[in-house]
Amino acid sequence: MGAVIPVFFPLLEKLPKNSRFKKFLRPPGAKAEEEFLRDCIGCGQCANVCPNKCITLYGLEGGLENLATPKINARAQGCILCMACTQVCPTAALEKLEPTPEGKQAVAMGTAFVSEDICYSFAGRTCGVCYHACPLPGKAMTLGLYEQPHVHAEFCVGCGLCEQACVHMPQAIRVVPIANLNERLRKKGIPA
Amino acid sequence: MVLSIFTRFSVIGLLCTLAMLTEYNNLKLAYNLPRLVELSSGKSMRVFYEFMDSFLAHFGDPGEVAQRNGGMTWSIRLMGVPFTDPVAALSVMAKSRRWELGFALGLVLPLGMALVFGRIFCSYLCPASLLFFAIARFRGILGKFLYFPEISLSRGFAWGLLFGGLAGAVWLGHGIWSLALPYFALGQTLFQGIAFGTLSISLGSLIVFSILDLCLGRQFTCRYVCPTGRLLGFIGRKSIISISREATQCLTSCQSCIDVCPMKINPKLDETVDCSLCGECLVICPTNCLSIGLRSRKITYETA
Repeated sequence: MGAVIPVFFPLLEKLPKNSRFKKFLRPPGAKAEEEFLRDCIGCGQCANVCPNKCITLYGLEGGLENLATPKINARAQGCILCMACTQVCPTAALEKLEPTPEGKQAVAMGTAFVSEDICYSFAGRTCGVCYHACPLPGKAMTLGLYEQPHVHAEFCVGCGLCEQACVHMPQAIRVVPIANLNERLRKKGIPA
Repeated sequence: MVLSIFTRFSVIGLLCTLAMLTEYNNLKLAYNLPRLVELSSGKSMRVFYEFMDSFLAHFGDPGEVAQRNGGMTWSIRLMGVPFTDPVAALSVMAKSRRWELGFALGLVLPLGMALVFGRIFCSYLCPASLLFFAIARFRGILGKFLYFPEISLSRGFAWGLLFGGLAGAVWLGHGIWSLALPYFALGQTLFQGIAFGTLSISLGSLIVFSILDLCLGRQFTCRYVCPTGRLLGFIGRKSIISISREATQCLTSCQSCIDVCPMKINPKLDETVDCSLCGECLVICPTNCLSIGLRSRKITYETA
């Protein structure tokens, strides 16, 4: 008889929510989105140890499938890649990584994209704030004329520190979560 | 009974402390110096920081100790030792069919406790049951002026919720347990409120459980709704330690233990399936014929 109640859970899916579009990053070391959602039990230990307070937990804004799972809002607070959260995850939804250069490079949270039409540096006003926030300067991001940022997607781990640091409002550099990129590639028929 | 209230308050205090570790970790990494904390966040944060620093220093290096503790009643680490909720383990097993080693090891203590003591989690550790205990007292006071029904359900309802919830977890995500389990909802609400200053959706489900408790019966959620209680009751139905009764001293007409039992079991029939060893019947028994001890063989055969 009690089994009837969970049947009504999908009705909560009908509640209005901001967007189905995944706007937020997952913590470092997160597996691919489906696998991550399969393993994450929403215990909040990653958010508890995060010394940067960048990991917060989803409410209903991401739908029931994301409820209580961790997210990182890069514009509010980027990830400093200290890897504390990967060490504590009980179900290995976040794979264990070390805060070494190799460990940092192994992170794949997303990729940064520069909006060249609003970026100060591309308008000839030297800025370079995002470059100085980047934890992998010279690799993930290089500078051109007037400190114009150039993101190299093969090295960018998507920590979001550049997005947090950007002085333009709205941000001229955005980190797109890896789940979104994969989804976009899948729609175009390219395997991720 | 006093002991059970004290231990449950301690669990709530522990949950609050763990949630506050988030703030402490942040201050520790950012400043690591009380004077800088005061300059950036004010006097009160300095007091908080210094208190946590000196408190955690009892166990070793404060920063490291803070990283070794975390989580909620759902899945918690205390000094690096993991504890896993049996329902969480079932949920993960149902969805990904694979347990991490630490996750599986975390099951040892909760399951061992249930095998030895029965549903002891429900009356001594569960923070939500303290809330329902308070509501039961409130209900008792209100009951002098209003009529509240006492509704009985079969145990199948909670079993249904457990399996329905498992199906929901496979279909949607493990996060739905933060709505379906009272103590997880309480932990989530405390954690979100203290660590981030936000209201959690789990508070809504906690309010629903409280209303159920107030309107439908004393400790209604614990008895008929909570899937974890059902599971622990099943695991601990033949627990080593249980309530035993001296039949020769027991008065036939006396009903006080049946009336007082929050789990609505019948000590007079030596029924100990859902007993959480709360000890309320021991206190109220006029002849002191009830005691907590090793389960005798005779009773095991009778209930089996």
